[in-house]
Amino acid sequence: MASKISIKGLRKTFGDLEVLKGMDMEIAEGEVVCLIGPSGSGKSTFLRCLNRLETVTAGTVIVDGNEISNKKVNINKVRENIGMVFQHFNLFPNLTVLKNIMLAPVELKKMDKKQAEEKARELLMRVGLAEKADAYPVQLSGGQKQRVAIARSLAMNPDIMLFDEPTSALDPEMVGEVLEVMKQLARDGMTMVVVTHEMGFAREVSNRVIFMDDGVIVEEGIPAEIFSNPREERTRNFLNKVL
Amino acid sequence: MKLIELFIQYFPSFMSALLYTLKLTALSLFFASILGIIFGLFSVSSSRLLKTLTMIYVDIIRGTPLLVQAFFVYFGLPQALGIRMTAIVAGTITLSLNAGAYMSEIVRGGIESVDKGQMEAARSLGLPYHIAMIRVILPQAIRTMMPSIINQFIISLKDTSILSVIGIRELTMNGKIIIANNMEAIRIWTIVACLYLFVCTILSRVAQALERRMSYGK
Repeated sequence: MASKISIKGLRKTFGDLEVLKGMDMEIAEGEVVCLIGPSGSGKSTFLRCLNRLETVTAGTVIVDGNEISNKKVNINKVRENIGMVFQHFNLFPNLTVLKNIMLAPVELKKMDKKQAEEKARELLMRVGLAEKADAYPVQLSGGQKQRVAIARSLAMNPDIMLFDEPTSALDPEMVGEVLEVMKQLARDGMTMVVVTHEMGFAREVSNRVIFMDDGVIVEEGIPAEIFSNPREERTRNFLNKVL
Repeated sequence: MKLIELFIQYFPSFMSALLYTLKLTALSLFFASILGIIFGLFSVSSSRLLKTLTMIYVDIIRGTPLLVQAFFVYFGLPQALGIRMTAIVAGTITLSLNAGAYMSEIVRGGIESVDKGQMEAARSLGLPYHIAMIRVILPQAIRTMMPSIINQFIISLKDTSILSVIGIRELTMNGKIIIANNMEAIRIWTIVACLYLFVCTILSRVAQALERRMSYGK
């Protein structure tokens, strides 16, 4: 299958601190990849390099055939195709739920207002929040906010979705509803890269689990392999702590 | 009562002076807001040149008295550039530049108070920087900025009194002229003070109402 995301020799430094120390990865269309690893291992930084929220220090990142590590490439066009969901939701508090979802398609002239609203309502239906269209983010629970955030990032019809610890800021009883939406997406064939601490989700949904530590990929493989039979000492230690 | 008699006697001149004060304030704040937004955006931009430019502007204004700025613009600039300028034009320029510098700091503070995840979320949707700024960041920043903006409006309104030194017959200058004629210092200054108080109070009440309207579902 064609490579959707292709990364070669990716390095990222913040000042003197080298966070990513050379990473290579190929992600195929429709693949669901989970990144696990201790905090500070560079998972989130890696994810943020995939849509240039962080500029890369060295190496190449190619998404959908666009070399986004090249500063001359118009990143806005590429980002329309990459949805991103954040740990802290980052809904726009000054806009209603519906307007949050409609903002990008309307501003970027992908759809007219009417189409965008239809699309937004349909997406809200999909994440089970049709009745919250006119609410403001402050009136929603954490789980609801995150489901709206997912709907918002789907509004541009992306074919890649990035999730940066989407359930880490949620109360435990709300994790399930968000994971359910993500599972549905995965079943629908979305290419997904998920930074997560939800080992259950990684095991159940992902095609591949990547264990990162200290800015490098330590081990990767299908979930069954990684979770029941890790090859590396570091992976074993980490899994012993979290499982 | 003598106070009211005096107020009625000089009513036309108080009103025309008040109008000057308000006109000067309104014009200056209009230009100051534009300057404030432009330089505020400069100071949060990624361009070192624009940031430095803003820093120099703000430092100069903050580091010199308004009185000196007024003299500089009204007496200094025309001489240096060989142009003519009416007092009201000079006054407006001075106050605009002055308030603009403080406003740019308010705008910068407001923008920086917005969580940086907001910009990231907007950009990750494919929105260009300027649209993200206009649709997402500024509407949120304005809420935080509102009290400081109103504060600056009130300060600027009162600062118009300093422009009496370049011969604009606004409230303060007008008071001085009336007193020169009738020696009623305590009463006339009371009236002048009350007029300032009246306008400033209205301004801050309007501001409070505005702030309540921008609460976004809270």
